[in-house]
Amino acid sequence: MAAEDEISLLVIVVDVNPIWWGQQAQREPEFTLSKCLDAVMVLGNSHTAMTRTNKLAVIASHCQDSHFLYPSKNWRGGDNVGDDACSSGDGKYELLSVANNLIAEEIRNVMSKTEVRGNSTDTLLAGSLAKALCYINRVSKELEVGQDLKSRILVIKAAEDCALQYMNFMNVIFAAQKQNILIDACVLDSDSGLLQQACDITGGLYLKIPHKLALAQYLLWVFLPDSEQRSQLVLPPPAHVDYRAACFCHRNLIEIGYVCSVCLSIFCNFSPICTTCETAFKIQLPQMVKPKKKKLKQAT
Amino acid sequence: MAALSEEVLLVLKKVRQRKQDGTLYLMAERIAWSPEGKDRFTVSHLYADIRCQKISPDGKAKIQLQLVLHTGESTTFHFSNESTALKDRDAAKELLQQLLPKFKKKANKELEEKNRMLQEDPVLFQLYKDLVVSQVISADEFWANRLGDISNADPALYNNNNKQEVGISGAFLADIRPQTDGCNGLRYNLTADIIESIFRTYPAVKQKYSENVPHNLTEKEFWTHFFQSHYFHRDRINTGTQDIFSECAKQDEKGLKSMVVQGVKNPLVDLLSLEDKTLDEGYGVRTAPPSTSNANRTVKESSNAAIIKRFNHHSAMVLAAGSRKGETPTDQASETSSTDGNSKDSDFFQPPVKKVKLQEAIEYEDLQRENRIKTVALNLKKSDRYAHGPVPLQSQHYTTSQDIINSVNYIQHEMVNYKPNLTQVLSSTAASSAIAALSPGGILMQTGAQQAINQMIPTEVQGELKHLYAAAGELLRHFWSCFPVNTPFLEEKVIKMKSNLERFQMTKLCPFKEKIQRQYLSTNLTGHLEEMFQTAYSKFHIWQTRRMMRKT
Repeated sequence: MAAEDEISLLVIVVDVNPIWWGQQAQREPEFTLSKCLDAVMVLGNSHTAMTRTNKLAVIASHCQDSHFLYPSKNWRGGDNVGDDACSSGDGKYELLSVANNLIAEEIRNVMSKTEVRGNSTDTLLAGSLAKALCYINRVSKELEVGQDLKSRILVIKAAEDCALQYMNFMNVIFAAQKQNILIDACVLDSDSGLLQQACDITGGLYLKIPHKLALAQYLLWVFLPDSEQRSQLVLPPPAHVDYRAACFCHRNLIEIGYVCSVCLSIFCNFSPICTTCETAFKIQLPQMVKPKKKKLKQAT
Repeated sequence: MAALSEEVLLVLKKVRQRKQDGTLYLMAERIAWSPEGKDRFTVSHLYADIRCQKISPDGKAKIQLQLVLHTGESTTFHFSNESTALKDRDAAKELLQQLLPKFKKKANKELEEKNRMLQEDPVLFQLYKDLVVSQVISADEFWANRLGDISNADPALYNNNNKQEVGISGAFLADIRPQTDGCNGLRYNLTADIIESIFRTYPAVKQKYSENVPHNLTEKEFWTHFFQSHYFHRDRINTGTQDIFSECAKQDEKGLKSMVVQGVKNPLVDLLSLEDKTLDEGYGVRTAPPSTSNANRTVKESSNAAIIKRFNHHSAMVLAAGSRKGETPTDQASETSSTDGNSKDSDFFQPPVKKVKLQEAIEYEDLQRENRIKTVALNLKKSDRYAHGPVPLQSQHYTTSQDIINSVNYIQHEMVNYKPNLTQVLSSTAASSAIAALSPGGILMQTGAQQAINQMIPTEVQGELKHLYAAAGELLRHFWSCFPVNTPFLEEKVIKMKSNLERFQMTKLCPFKEKIQRQYLSTNLTGHLEEMFQTAYSKFHIWQTRRMMRKT
């Protein structure tokens, strides 16, 4: 049997920061992590159902670690066929029901293992993205001859950006760009500059959702089509990305500044010694013009 | 009438122009003619304007001289003095022949230069068309800045930068190719190039030429003598001193001898080891070595030696002429002049040349150790700055530890019994509001309404806009370069440039604006241009008021 030529892999990275979701559940009980995961499952099922060769992966991004919800290590292809717990009675495509069950099981495990730690309250998003990239790389190596892999990553972001992950984030973004992997972002709460840059650089879509309750609709409308189909559709236009850098001394956004040629750190004011690498610089001052003395006419 | 300070070089009476009798005057910078009885010049041409002169052939009854100008017009003078007409005409012709070349070069060169610049640079050409042809600024102003660099530079330098010197072909004498013309005569074809080559290679011949022509011999006679003399022919047997070229032959001998004495500067080349060593008769057993003195030589040997000597001399002269740059007679002190036999103080430069040649032979460039540029070592003191990178500080939500514990408990409690409920994911109202937001015109689709401008405006309009920008930029550059206004020249220029800007705005910018308003969407294409002009005007206004205040 000839293998299909194009495989489309969708990796969904879900931000399951327990602190944020716990607070969200208290703020807005209608939309909780359960609802969010339901919507993600709908998207995953739709993607898998579109073409036989479509593949799916789901990663949960926690404050402690990143965990693969699907495919899971415990899953063995056809072993659990006869298992009652896995089969659902509604005649669903078996792959979909298996996937849903796995995701549900894994997320329960993940959340139950949550430990409370005061110092790390940020989502490890950069790490999850890196894991996604590694997974995509592994799948691309396992392809049969003649098969092509097109992959994209969808990030569903809940909590705020963590500035400490900046370097790792940028590395991930450029690696994705090199590998032609799109990064899409669906932001639930506050705008994320890092994800805006990621989407702009890799060519993906960034969307901040006005109504969280309609998450599933947004996901299906905007993020289900792949990059080829997107050119044929009318989708939200790309937002203007603020690429201004912040100076290292005050962390203010600046448009024009001074960059040290040795360590590449950015400053808003000139100082003769770079504070990061302690290199001394000279700068030419404008020439001082001596004021001409006017001769006074002597009164006779 | 003629300026008082003009020097009159030649006056010829009885010269008719357009069937009127008159007098022809040749001055230092122009040629002029006045009718009989009048004291004012009706015809006056600067030598710089004259492209060439023509004379009527010798056999004709009318003796005429015609001047053709650069513009294409021509003026004809008829020499009607019975006795001296031919002499007059020839005198005028000779004088013009000497004077015209002097003035010709200047005018032509500038025009040529301008044409070349316009042809080479299409942007410049377009600018020229926009600004000068449509009379926004005059051609002089346009070329003022650009030609300034060229005319100031040394012409010799300029020539050398753009053109390479053409060398001399070693076979130029052979190219003359004598042809028999039927009855026992030979026809030699001499072109200007060959003559030039002969002069450059053999300065002695040039000297002879300048001495004898046109005083004793005509050019034709000179060259006939040259080809007839034994100097030119193979067998150079010096037959007395009747020939004007026998001196040249003696000089050549002297030159060759001095060249041999000098030898080659390169210490790695040993010419003496290249002597012909034949085994000769007897396979090397012959006891008496063959003598090389002239007395014992046979006629054949000596003629062969003479030919070889002449070949060597010719090649040496050609090489020397090629390396002698630009015929400057004062160029005696250069190293290269030591390669021909005619210079004096070449010994002075021997040591450096030797050293250079030795070094070249010993060292190979690519085997040297690479000289890397000295770099500064990176020594980071505060590397934690890179961890967050150039990201602005954002206010963090402050969560108390109690909040954290509460949230975590809450979520754990919620997710313990998580079961996907995929039939209740979305309500229809939520879905329809989301669809409305995502449809064209919805909340999320607002910024997409703007199309890229370059898709809405046709290409000719874009092209015109580019030309406008180039032309406006040029004018504005002239305008802004006048500030600070220090000299009266700059003051004048500033005022002129402002009027130029206004004129440009009226003649070019406003019609363009009206055109796009009539035909296309109301996109503001010219807003930026107008802003630039406005800034220039306000600067001018400020400067003007300050000047008024200073004066009062």
